[in-house]
Amino acid sequence: MKRAIKFCYILYIPFFILTGCWNLKEPDKLAFVTGNGLDLTTNGKLEASALLVTPSGIGGGHISGGEKEESFHVMSATGTNVSDALVNIQSKISRALFSGHRDIFLVGHRLAEHGMGETIDPFLRYPQSDMRSLIYIVKNGRPKDVFSTKPFFDPFITTSLFDEQVAIGLKPYLAREFVVDVLSEGTQPLLPVVSKISSKHYSYTGSAILNKDDKVKLVGFLNKNETSYARWITDRLSYMTLTSFVPKGSGNVSLTLESIDRRIHVKQVGDRIQINVHLTGKGTIMENNTKLDPSLPKDLQFIEDGLSQNTQKSILQLIKKVQKEYKMDIFGFGERVHQRYPKQWKNLKGNWVETFSNLDVTVTVDLRCNDPGQTNSSLNER
Amino acid sequence: MDSSGKSTFKETKLKRTDNQSTENQNLSKYIKENEQSFKDIFKHCSDIMYREITIHGQIKLMLIYVDGMVNTDIIISNVLEPLMYEGLPQGLGAVESISEMLKQERFTVLQMKKIFNFEEISENILKGNLCILVDGEDMALLADVKKIETRSITESSIEPVLRGSRESFTENLRTNTTMIRRIIATPELKIESLKIGKLTNTDVAVVYIEGIVTEAVLNEVLNRLKQIKANGILESGIIEQFIEESPLSPFPQIMNSERPDVVAASLLEGRVAILMNGTPFALIIPMTFWGGLQAPDDYHQRFLFVAMIRWIRYFFTIISVLLPSLYIALTNFHPEMVPPNLMLNVAALRERAPFPTVIEVLLMEIMFEGLQEAGIRLPKQIGPLVSIVGALVIGEAAVSAGIISAPVVIVVSAAGIALFIIPRYTFSFPMRMLRFPIMILSGIFGLFGTAVGICIIFIHLLHLCSFGTPYLSPVAPLNKRGLKDVLIRWPQKPVKEGEGHP
Repeated sequence: MKRAIKFCYILYIPFFILTGCWNLKEPDKLAFVTGNGLDLTTNGKLEASALLVTPSGIGGGHISGGEKEESFHVMSATGTNVSDALVNIQSKISRALFSGHRDIFLVGHRLAEHGMGETIDPFLRYPQSDMRSLIYIVKNGRPKDVFSTKPFFDPFITTSLFDEQVAIGLKPYLAREFVVDVLSEGTQPLLPVVSKISSKHYSYTGSAILNKDDKVKLVGFLNKNETSYARWITDRLSYMTLTSFVPKGSGNVSLTLESIDRRIHVKQVGDRIQINVHLTGKGTIMENNTKLDPSLPKDLQFIEDGLSQNTQKSILQLIKKVQKEYKMDIFGFGERVHQRYPKQWKNLKGNWVETFSNLDVTVTVDLRCNDPGQTNSSLNER
Repeated sequence: MDSSGKSTFKETKLKRTDNQSTENQNLSKYIKENEQSFKDIFKHCSDIMYREITIHGQIKLMLIYVDGMVNTDIIISNVLEPLMYEGLPQGLGAVESISEMLKQERFTVLQMKKIFNFEEISENILKGNLCILVDGEDMALLADVKKIETRSITESSIEPVLRGSRESFTENLRTNTTMIRRIIATPELKIESLKIGKLTNTDVAVVYIEGIVTEAVLNEVLNRLKQIKANGILESGIIEQFIEESPLSPFPQIMNSERPDVVAASLLEGRVAILMNGTPFALIIPMTFWGGLQAPDDYHQRFLFVAMIRWIRYFFTIISVLLPSLYIALTNFHPEMVPPNLMLNVAALRERAPFPTVIEVLLMEIMFEGLQEAGIRLPKQIGPLVSIVGALVIGEAAVSAGIISAPVVIVVSAAGIALFIIPRYTFSFPMRMLRFPIMILSGIFGLFGTAVGICIIFIHLLHLCSFGTPYLSPVAPLNKRGLKDVLIRWPQKPVKEGEGHP
């Protein structure tokens, strides 16, 4: 009898298989999407595009002989909303779209100006999408044009765009950080920008300021240098190279900062809020065109002071520009105030845009040269 | 062993018609009658020799022995020569019997015993003793003149070590017990003798160290050994199957070794060893999961290195069971968990593959099992053929012909190599077997199936006991002191008195 009962248990096993919870997907039945793009067409329709990898084209152990296939294909389709557009892309290809390996999400200029708030949602919500992907704004261009370009090193552009951020010293601004910023009370998102730099080459060219309070609409752009400074203040920078004029040596000095830190002090004086941004950095002198000899402590002090003062000036200028021109708190000062004075924040947050643009911000920069380089004074002084 | 051989080990009713009558009888006084009885017992046994000698024309002696099992040199120098040249000792009347006198005065260098019973005598003859019958006396003298051809002590071929003793057991029980005795020279080392097998009468020795051994385990071992009812025991593996607790478990519950130093180390840990005539493999009881992953020279090398090697072994043990199923589960069910570039490469290589991944992996695994088995059974001269066929045809050609995708070959061979890292060969069998069900589970349910498979294995392992010792001890149930020897092999120094050897 017991045996019969045990045997019945075995009969149950097929039920698991036969109830349809079969989510087996052979890799050769999948279309791997490494990049997705969204834009508006000229007649206002939503257009989604996808960069699809052709596995047989990327070489992995490809049997010699046959001609090399294209390593990727770009598909695009319009639709009433994002899902509809994606379904339309799916209907054009023979394999199931698989976006688990998506690295890059591009937003077209036109869509960014229109506000990408509601359209980006499905990409972040869908469980298959990787929250570690990067979001770029395409300045003066369409996502599918970016996808169609062939990069130097990689078989398709998404990998290049992903690696570029790291290569220039920025910490990648991942989709999940973007979500955190958009859902936060104080900080405004600052997304990297890709744009055409030559006839067939797209590359990173700075960043875009967005207004999360108004459908995540595009407000303005920052150039590469300004982006680096802004990222320094928000602690999303791993290294950067500064070049500036040192008055005492009447020449230029370049310093590559390798250990970068920042500290933001929030102080309330009366009902005004004062913010002090203290930036520190240590690095190596890369280039010295001055008469100064960095191996002498006195001269080194001149170089360090000159660099610090110039950097301080530029950063203060950037903060003033953002405060007056864009009025978007991309530096996360609001969050700082929120943390420091949670009670006062309740009154402040309603009118933070206005408060931010009139904020008293002071900047102190403290740069140090750890390493004067392999030679001491500049060669042209001999 | 063929299928019909199986019945040998089960006790069967034997047809014993004619010898039944003489079996339990005692010898008669007449040498002719005794000879006849023996000839009845050993009917059609051409290797039994009967030799009649007459000394001084008056006293008849009869020598019975198995040809080839006795040392003829000893018989000549110690039995025949004294009798022939010196004759019988004088003063017959003073002694009660000739045999008694022979035993005391002539055959002083030999081990002798007096037996009256036919059954006992014939058994002794078959074990290589010389039987001497004296006319007019109803007893037999048995002399130990055994000379059995055995293999010499050689280096262990299936348990090689980098550092340590090179000896391994032989097929001769006495040689084997001597080897252990040489390592552990104490009267506390007990070697209890048993005979198992109705027809083979195999000598089995239960070896343990009194005072260290776990009494309960020892009693259980002796008890189970005594309950074995079989006609023949040919190898210790047969004993193992008779006495193990869960024959249906894929995991071996008794360790075997052909190394005297491994047996000695186990004895010092308080385990029981079973040695047997006719096989170089000793059984060691009880066995634990972690014991199966320990190499003989783990205690001979420096501890840091051994700690690393042990972890490598644990890692590869997991790999050997799980790698094929993880490959199936990750590429077919959870491609987002594989790094993008790797996944694209796998996808590229799978582009032309005709079979689903599960079938591919199963095919290759079965081929690999076939190769392994062929490697064992193949005559040595054509051994290289298997490696050529295996590596070239199945590995290389299958991939370039597009029948099997390359990652599958890598996965299967990596898992195969991982198997050989397990130091106890028999302990790799469960890993080999368990791969398949887990692979099928992963092929149906993905990582969920893999997880279920692992859970089932662990439930089984936690349930398993080897002679009352939990199989996963000292990890489950947790014993912190024993754990030191599992996670890393703790340095030798702090071994306190009574804590025992390695």
